[in-house]
Amino acid sequence: MTQNFSQTRTLTLGHLYPDQLNLYGDRGNILTLRRRCELRGIELRVVGLGIGDALAPDEYDLLFIGGGQDKEQAPVAQDLYDLKGIGLWAAVEDDMPVLAVCGGFQLLAHYYRPAEGPDMRGLGVFDAWTIHKGPQVARCIGNIALGWNGSTLVGFENHGGRTYLGTAKPLGRVLKGHGNNAEDHTEGAIYRNAFGTYLHGSLLPKNPHFADHLIALALQRKYDREEPFAMHDISLDLVTDQFNHHTTEPNLPATRDTNADQLSPLDDTLEWEAHAAMLERLGLYSEAIDVLRTHHIALNSSTAS
Amino acid sequence: MRKSRPSQAGEQEGAPVLREPRMGPQPLATKRPKTRNQRRRTRQRHLEAGLAVIAGQTVGVLSRRLHLGGGTSIVGIVAQRVYPDIVEHLATQLEHGSIIITGTNGKTTTSNFIASIMRHAGLYVWNNKEGSNLMRGVAAALVTHALPNGQMRRTAEAISILEVDEAALPQVVRAVPPRVLVVTNLFRDQLDRYGEVDSILQYWQQAIKQLPDTSTLVLNADDPAIANLGIGFQGHILYYGIDDLSLNLLSQQDPTDVHHQTLDTRVCPACGNAYVYDVQFYSHMGHYHCPTCDTSRPQPEVSAKHIHLDTFDSWHVQLEKAGEAHELTVPLPGLYNVYNALAAVTAAQALAVGWEPISTAIEQAVPVFGRGERIEAEGRSIRLLLAKNPTGFNEVLRTLFTEEVSRHILFVLNDNTADGHDISWIWDVDFERAVGHTTTVTVAGTRAADLALRLKYAGLPQEQITVVPSAPLRALRQQIIQARKARRARRTGKLSAKQAAQLQPAAPYGLKQALSVALQQTPVGETLFVVPTYTALLEIHRELGQRGLTTNYWEGKNV
Repeated sequence: MTQNFSQTRTLTLGHLYPDQLNLYGDRGNILTLRRRCELRGIELRVVGLGIGDALAPDEYDLLFIGGGQDKEQAPVAQDLYDLKGIGLWAAVEDDMPVLAVCGGFQLLAHYYRPAEGPDMRGLGVFDAWTIHKGPQVARCIGNIALGWNGSTLVGFENHGGRTYLGTAKPLGRVLKGHGNNAEDHTEGAIYRNAFGTYLHGSLLPKNPHFADHLIALALQRKYDREEPFAMHDISLDLVTDQFNHHTTEPNLPATRDTNADQLSPLDDTLEWEAHAAMLERLGLYSEAIDVLRTHHIALNSSTAS
Repeated sequence: MRKSRPSQAGEQEGAPVLREPRMGPQPLATKRPKTRNQRRRTRQRHLEAGLAVIAGQTVGVLSRRLHLGGGTSIVGIVAQRVYPDIVEHLATQLEHGSIIITGTNGKTTTSNFIASIMRHAGLYVWNNKEGSNLMRGVAAALVTHALPNGQMRRTAEAISILEVDEAALPQVVRAVPPRVLVVTNLFRDQLDRYGEVDSILQYWQQAIKQLPDTSTLVLNADDPAIANLGIGFQGHILYYGIDDLSLNLLSQQDPTDVHHQTLDTRVCPACGNAYVYDVQFYSHMGHYHCPTCDTSRPQPEVSAKHIHLDTFDSWHVQLEKAGEAHELTVPLPGLYNVYNALAAVTAAQALAVGWEPISTAIEQAVPVFGRGERIEAEGRSIRLLLAKNPTGFNEVLRTLFTEEVSRHILFVLNDNTADGHDISWIWDVDFERAVGHTTTVTVAGTRAADLALRLKYAGLPQEQITVVPSAPLRALRQQIIQARKARRARRTGKLSAKQAAQLQPAAPYGLKQALSVALQQTPVGETLFVVPTYTALLEIHRELGQRGLTTNYWEGKNV
């Protein structure tokens, strides 16, 4: 009803280091975003950004960076800092939604201090830092649930490093599980529209409200801006490939009424049942009841077929 | 008298042997202890070993009598408690020593192939087929077949074939230095237990450092992580691999095959650069080289030149072994079983076994526990295909969906400790491949909801999918109670038939119902493919056993 668009809306997702940082089912996040866009008639293009590729912020509407093994993280950290740092900063300051999971989250904070060896420098998007306390300190592994935005997020965490927040706001408060450091009940970090988190499993399939939040932010930023889209392309001066520049045409304000609540609702029964099953697994029974009640899920709605 | 009872009990179970031991236990006869002190220590060790054997076997028998479980691991735990060196003591008695098999996927099938080859070659085989593949399982396997005097029941012409968990390898190798160590492959598996893929490599490097120079390493040439294990090893190394270029994914028309492969080894450990693949079979298995340094796939001693799929579960393989050409039939589904057969051929080559026993053993192989096993039930066939990590799962799906046949499938996903608590790997599995190739799909297990969600996002039609979780949501319990009350009211006549018809039946849950639902949806005469994770496979077996369809796996199937 609210979606009477003369032209299909498109979003471009920049997937950072799809080959190096893909350890924990991160593909699920991409699949979820793509499908949830598709079902609403939004085309989601996914562009992989590997080592050596530059990041031109005005070519993307969303960014995703996953987690990987420690061994693979060092060259990625270097590349992120050298080649994509300025572009990513510009994107974040311009309110582009960014989702950084696990290793990606660590790389967007100030630094990662391994148990041995030199510090890995991060981008400092989040005022936070990560310390690995050595093999004697147990890894934070297990199912996790947090309170977010009046609702819950569920996932699985598996990290050796412990992250401490400076002035960065946490993504949520840990209800069950370890969180950033197993000490202060914080999980993840937020700066503008950039979200860092340790939740994989994958994060977005079982948390459809969070997936929609990211999509809505991206749509809003792209199609709902009051001021015309005017990104100052400092970063492009660093990029050798100047020729692609002209391909991003200024966007006509096709719609003015898209915002977070106006994404058309989908049948998320299966999603919320999986979400509630995890909450119950963690002993959060009243939260599970809340989730099912909020989303009007009754017995047999998905299984009777 | 009292002493010998437990061993008799043990003998009866392990008894369906091909040949009875020809003679009594062989003495340790290698070296005579010289001094009285040494002799006393030897006697002491025999005594302790004997006690350990008796204690272990007694507990095993009790545990089985009391139905506490398979009663296999407990035998090893108790025996090791009584005499910590029991494994070393028993394993070193065997005339032909031991072969150890490890790797992420294919351990069990490869061990089964090798055991069968050795039997066909006339050897007497001890293995840990029924037990766990941790140290205690190895201990249990040996203790079960030992005599109360601390000797193996049979040592002459005997060999032990031990399947060993990736992380337990250093410990087992220390106790049992193998004549041959076979390493099949390395994929991401149970990251919550092992941490990262690389930590497994460290365990293996540690284990290989402990090997004597007289050991032979049998390594998969097509897996770069495995091939690199040979670097720096002083002893003999035999590689195996596939050289049939028609299986190359990179040259196939359908680009999705390449796209959905999860690479678990990507970079050269020497210089950190990404490997370049000339040929890729699946995941990171293929012909690779490092663009900057000299590292490349070693030339395999045993190589499959032509591979042809005859039927769903029969491969015809033309292979070259030590310069000779041979033909082999592998009667199991999946390309991964060709690799398993090659590993077994190479291990046999390491012990200079002739071709005849090798080909006979592999051609007559029957699927082991859950690896393609067929069970007839209610006029339908059930095939069990264990899948416990992304690459294993991908290969099972490829096996199921390459032919143009629509399948009936029951997926069971558990997240118990033996499966790994982290199930995020299901998002790395290429379920998209199943779209258009399924008729009915039942999803069960402790994480049924997660798998159902994965299938939904893969694009499987929702109306094909039935979700039967392990337990109903507690949040919905109120509704379940109401449904139950309504049914009771209907029975007692308080509710009219019309009213009752409006009530939905309670949703099924639990594996028993899942299996029933899946079987019902499979027409008589067709096959239901069951794809479970590890603990789900155990549950399925138990359930089938209760329906009288299989024997319990721990009962006397050793030989």
